[in-house]
Amino acid sequence: MMELTTLQWVKHTVTHPFVGFEDMRWKKSGSFRLASVILLLWFIAAVLYERAYGFQFKAVPDRVFNIVHYFVQTVVVFLTWVIGNWSVCTLLDGEGTLRRIYIYSAYALVPYIASRYLETFLSHILIRDEVVFLEGVRLIGICWSALLLVSAMKAVHQYSIGRTVLAMLLTVAAMAVMLFLMVLVLAIFQQMAMFLYAIYTEIAYRIQV
Amino acid sequence: MQKWMYAIPALLLISPMPVQAKEHYDVYSYDRWSEPVPSQAGYTAVRAVTGEDLGIGAFSEPSDLFMDEGGRLWIADTGNDRIVRTDAGLQTADVLNSFCMPDGSETHLSAPEGIYVSKETGLIYIADSGNSRVLICDDAQVQIILTKPDSVLFSQDLNFQPQKVLADKAGNVYVVLSNITTGAAMFSPEGEFMGYYGANAVQSTPKIAMKRFRSLLSTEEMRSSQSRTVPSGITNLDADAEGFLYTCSASVSQTQDTVKKVNPAGDNLFTSLHTVWGDQQPVYDITTRRQYQPMISDIDIAEDGSINCLDRTTGRVFQYNKEGELLFIFGSLSEQLGGFREVTALESFGTQVYVADDRKHSVTIFEETDFGALVHEATACNTAGNDDDALELWYAALQYDGNYRPAFLGISAGLLIQGDYREAMRYAKLADSSYYYDRAFSCYRREWMKIHGGEMLAAVLVLIVAGFLLHLYRTHRKERTT
Repeated sequence: MMELTTLQWVKHTVTHPFVGFEDMRWKKSGSFRLASVILLLWFIAAVLYERAYGFQFKAVPDRVFNIVHYFVQTVVVFLTWVIGNWSVCTLLDGEGTLRRIYIYSAYALVPYIASRYLETFLSHILIRDEVVFLEGVRLIGICWSALLLVSAMKAVHQYSIGRTVLAMLLTVAAMAVMLFLMVLVLAIFQQMAMFLYAIYTEIAYRIQV
Repeated sequence: MQKWMYAIPALLLISPMPVQAKEHYDVYSYDRWSEPVPSQAGYTAVRAVTGEDLGIGAFSEPSDLFMDEGGRLWIADTGNDRIVRTDAGLQTADVLNSFCMPDGSETHLSAPEGIYVSKETGLIYIADSGNSRVLICDDAQVQIILTKPDSVLFSQDLNFQPQKVLADKAGNVYVVLSNITTGAAMFSPEGEFMGYYGANAVQSTPKIAMKRFRSLLSTEEMRSSQSRTVPSGITNLDADAEGFLYTCSASVSQTQDTVKKVNPAGDNLFTSLHTVWGDQQPVYDITTRRQYQPMISDIDIAEDGSINCLDRTTGRVFQYNKEGELLFIFGSLSEQLGGFREVTALESFGTQVYVADDRKHSVTIFEETDFGALVHEATACNTAGNDDDALELWYAALQYDGNYRPAFLGISAGLLIQGDYREAMRYAKLADSSYYYDRAFSCYRREWMKIHGGEMLAAVLVLIVAGFLLHLYRTHRKERTT
């Protein structure tokens, strides 16, 4: 029973929102490498969605392009989610390991990422009057992934549905705290660097004079 | 050196020199992203007219301009309590300062701030601010005097302070009052007060929203002690050839709808435009450490429908086309010709724009440059539906300024009509206009589908059949292995 290859597991979990992840947990399957590939595809999708979208829908200034922005929006947010969820659920008697949360979350995002590629592609052949199709694709992708994410979190931690939702809300709060701390640390390091550089220039100047 | 070579500079000298735009300030325009970009001058200052030039003594704080059909400029010379009427070439002028009242007595003006002359009847409308009245005269004979209306709509505690005056085709008179926020006071041709017209709405800011929320929680008594929220009053108005009224508002608190096109029902027809009137990015002054926002203090609709706006903050004139697309920015705050200390009024006539400065006490005449003429001609061709000519003119405009957004939009629209959808898409993209691109692309797609529609259908069918066959093959193989 359920002897599936790695790719078939993705297909199975995505197309079976209610039992897919339970099955995968029961068979102890799920590939870390594939999850990373999905994450990379998400990052690419985010860049394409912004830069290669149909011009009739979105005009983007060419002068500014900062890839770090998209990296933060996808990869950093995802990793924050994983770490935040792990921290919260360790306290809430969740069974998930860091590795499993990473894999399951990534698998759950597949419909969303696919919808992004599909929408970007469709935006080149549709016109403004037909924007409703794009909105449909977007909505389906988001809802499907949201459903999968709840299912994935439920399976990975072996929670009841109420506890899953609670844990997810707490995770979002934890993410906010983490991002805040990250910004703070970055700011402090920047100040440190500037301070050290000021000392260096001062000393260099003294030596010269 | 050969003898004939001397002729070259001479030839250059005698060749007709067009109006060369060499402005003493940076000429700029705004791109799609509201970033200022260098541009070509559409207008250049050719002359500043003072009262001495006209032989009538210096102006003192001129505050309104009006150009009549015959090209005579009327100037409300506020500080000198007079109206100045020049001749067509602005060489000489005569002065109007005393009028004969209906009862035969003589009356003098006091600090007139507004002047208008009706195209239909030739009547002169003067906002005689110092005397709290509006005079409607036929040459030197006063016909009607508008004073503080005896109406419940007009609060009797307030003074009647007319600042600007305008009459529409039917003879209705619109008076901008400095202390009224409910729009321009409207009078019938007979001088009867009829109400207000073109009021601004209160712009919803966080502060206003907070106040509204608080008033929900407070009692009637508390509410009565709160300050009332009133919109800012309109500052100036003008009418276009079709009879639509345009208002502008110079206010610190109001940043939206500073320019409105008002239909007879009083609705603003410009609400759907995304035009930013005046400078699109706030101007920060390093010396005073203050941020300045545009104050559109006068508006003028040219014969071709272009909208000229005068920004008091920066002393600049912003010219837009009928659709609110920015065409040119000219003028500055400086002492040279073409610069101002404090601008008060704006008027246009033919290829010229006149700006009054009440601290330089002069009227500056701007003449359109070759580039400006080209753009105006192209716009006129577009309006007349003469699209082939317009296209040529827009291409020529690009030779002057290869970054000029209205030209790219004009070319895109022209090519779309000609049926060159591919190129229309390209120019829409160069103009950063999604809207124009969408129009061109939808036509392009329809054409493409006409040619390739059959092939696409065939390809889809082939794919479906192939998928079905593959499915059959797979199930067949699975059955064999099990």
